[in-house]
Amino acid sequence: MTHLGTLALYLASLLAVYAIVTSLWGVRTRRTAWIASGTQAAYAVGGCVVIASIALLYALLTRDFNVEYVASYSSSTLPLHYTVAAFWGGQKGSLLFWALIHCFFSAIVLFQNRTRNQELMPYVTATLMTIALFFLGLLCFITPPFERLSFIPGEGSDLNPLLQNYWMTIHPPALYLGFISASVPFAFALAALATGKLGDVWIRTTRRWALTSWFFLSLGNLLGGRWAYEVLGWGGYWAWDPVENAAIMPWFTATAYLHSVMIQEKKDMLKVWNMTLVILTFVLTIFGTFLTRSGVISSVHSFTQSGLGPYFLTFLAFILIVSIGLLLYRLPDLKSANEFDSLLSREAAFLFNNLILVGLAFATFWGTIFPILSEWVRGVKITVGPPFFNQVNGPLGVILLFLTGIGPIIAWRRASWSSLRRQFTIPLVVGLVLGGLLFVLGYRNYYAVVIFSLAGFVLAGILAEFSRGTRARQVMLHESPPQALGRLVGKNPRRYGGYIVHVGVVLIFFGVAGALFTIEKQTTVGAEQSFAVGRYTLHYTGITEREDAHIAAQIATVRVLVDGQQIDTMYPEKRFYKKQNQPTTEVDIRPTLVEDLYLVFGSYDEPSGLATFQVFINPLVSWIWIGGLILILGTCVIMAPNPAERQAFALARTPADIRGQAVAE
Amino acid sequence: MAAKQSKFLVGALLIVSAVGYLIYTSIQETKVYYFTIDEFLLKKATLANTDVRVAGRVQAGSIQWDPAALNLTFRLMPIEPGTIPVGTIPAGVPVSYQGILPDMFAEGRDVIVEGLYTPEQQLVASTIMTSCPSKYEPEIEERLQAS
Repeated sequence: MTHLGTLALYLASLLAVYAIVTSLWGVRTRRTAWIASGTQAAYAVGGCVVIASIALLYALLTRDFNVEYVASYSSSTLPLHYTVAAFWGGQKGSLLFWALIHCFFSAIVLFQNRTRNQELMPYVTATLMTIALFFLGLLCFITPPFERLSFIPGEGSDLNPLLQNYWMTIHPPALYLGFISASVPFAFALAALATGKLGDVWIRTTRRWALTSWFFLSLGNLLGGRWAYEVLGWGGYWAWDPVENAAIMPWFTATAYLHSVMIQEKKDMLKVWNMTLVILTFVLTIFGTFLTRSGVISSVHSFTQSGLGPYFLTFLAFILIVSIGLLLYRLPDLKSANEFDSLLSREAAFLFNNLILVGLAFATFWGTIFPILSEWVRGVKITVGPPFFNQVNGPLGVILLFLTGIGPIIAWRRASWSSLRRQFTIPLVVGLVLGGLLFVLGYRNYYAVVIFSLAGFVLAGILAEFSRGTRARQVMLHESPPQALGRLVGKNPRRYGGYIVHVGVVLIFFGVAGALFTIEKQTTVGAEQSFAVGRYTLHYTGITEREDAHIAAQIATVRVLVDGQQIDTMYPEKRFYKKQNQPTTEVDIRPTLVEDLYLVFGSYDEPSGLATFQVFINPLVSWIWIGGLILILGTCVIMAPNPAERQAFALARTPADIRGQAVAE
Repeated sequence: MAAKQSKFLVGALLIVSAVGYLIYTSIQETKVYYFTIDEFLLKKATLANTDVRVAGRVQAGSIQWDPAALNLTFRLMPIEPGTIPVGTIPAGVPVSYQGILPDMFAEGRDVIVEGLYTPEQQLVASTIMTSCPSKYEPEIEERLQAS
């Protein structure tokens, strides 16, 4: 099987080269047969990668420890689902997984456009296959996943315990899906630049892909946060670790793009900016992969030094040169005749939101690579940690939250004073009253007060929009309230789905602001002793031990009391993974809507019987996950099939094509 | 028309300069120097009262852990023996830490210590990150933060 896998990878590389050459040659010589052949080859690349993936899964599931990868990332006692997860648990497998998803997405794109966008498609195929070729090249020549050991180990060294968690089995795939689907809008952007068909056809074609990418990036980041919160045991969900930064940077630019693209659709402006954002998002996904794999920056999630760095850097340079070259070449054609009208307009709100989002991406980028930069420039490695990112991104985030309240409800072009009064009276009153109330109640953490009032401001604006629209339908069409609400969203899922996403974002802000009130305590107690944290009294009764072939665990029993009444019992663990000879901490979390009680069993001293605990009271954390769910739901509403949109697209296609040509000539 | 566009330019410039200002000042306020233990030992005379991050190895037999008070002290040593010229022994730097032990903290492990280098020539750690030495393993760092 592994020989078959290796063979499939080599064949896939050859086919990818063939697909690139024939697609481009076909365009040049105007021979559709060549182009069709290139498309077929691209499908075949996918087929080969599927075979290679099956081969690797087969090796994992049959526990073929002679294969270096299988021996390194699994063991005979590893449960089935983690054995499958080991496919993407290590460097080589995750690259293969990457190639697999990329080829899968490429195949979908080719199939979707088998009769459409015929001028663009050869370039799309060539771009997608170039990206595939890069990963296939790594798999064939640099990190062969089917490499065999010179001996047969009796046992594998097991999957890293930190990865043996259900969030971890789904978090990397979600993030990969987000990263990889960013290559589709990128491929279309390059195709638009190459052909000069710069109208909005490429944008409309890739709208769903951009959303899909954003959807999975959001999901991946949320799940990653959730994993860190449950598994890493330091009490938080986000540490501005380089790898976390790698995942959030493309999210910032993708979010910016989803907003600014509306300006291009409405006003035919910001074409260069949108092109740049699509390219930037893709470049950041590759940069993120580079960060995780090169070992240039140490991180919780990164793979070991692997010597992949130079290849990624070369590929990055190649992408940048091609993209920037094409962009500069087409720059004269991307000029817009329109202008912005007024600072009091949705365009302005979107423009500033874009600058903030790109600012967030840049600040995160700068902080992440600062150690490398400072070493180059001054010969001293200077690092910046979470305080830097919080200091910079915190205020920017607050401005962004404010703009979230403005953008969706302010009028396009130019808002009149009367419309401003109509739209913003309720939200402003809600925000100000909320802020005042918090102040009177004695809250003096101004950061939090500002965030909470802004949250109220934004939510009130969105709810007012929903109620205005629903009431209008009730009055005009005599619909019942639920019916009116359902149809309101159904008729314009893009707009109202967007509002739902904003509700999710606001709740996430709300939950994150809870971190300003975190309480942390460390203490050491003997059996049957109590200690107080916040309003809780924690009573440690003792430890129990549990052991199986895989894990040995010490489990502390801690009773949770409030006002002398027991409300819960918690069981934080100290685990020892035998194969890896590694201890890990299993936290126990008692989540409520108000606050999470987060209990870490720090250490247990055998001779004295003393147990050390670290306790966090994390207010409002649950709202991050709730907000995340709402955000996901809202994105699903936006992406739901929409007949009206399809019709508009069909109508727009022809004139837009002609317009694109006219501009190009 | 031109005046209208320049308003946008001013707004954009304001945001861009705010971002730049935030980045610049925050780096000045939060920067931490990163050294390998060898670099640190060479420069330590100039580093009193500085926030530093030092990568080194936990010296065998140097760990003292008081589980009741959560007090840890150990000695951070060069990773490659022999890189410090003979005669400068005792090489390394004493580290003190208050808090829960990181999961993989042990003698002979490679760690990154972040904290303040005091005039008393001690490294008072706020964070100890451990990395897993196994060559098959992804590099894992466990972070623990003291309050």
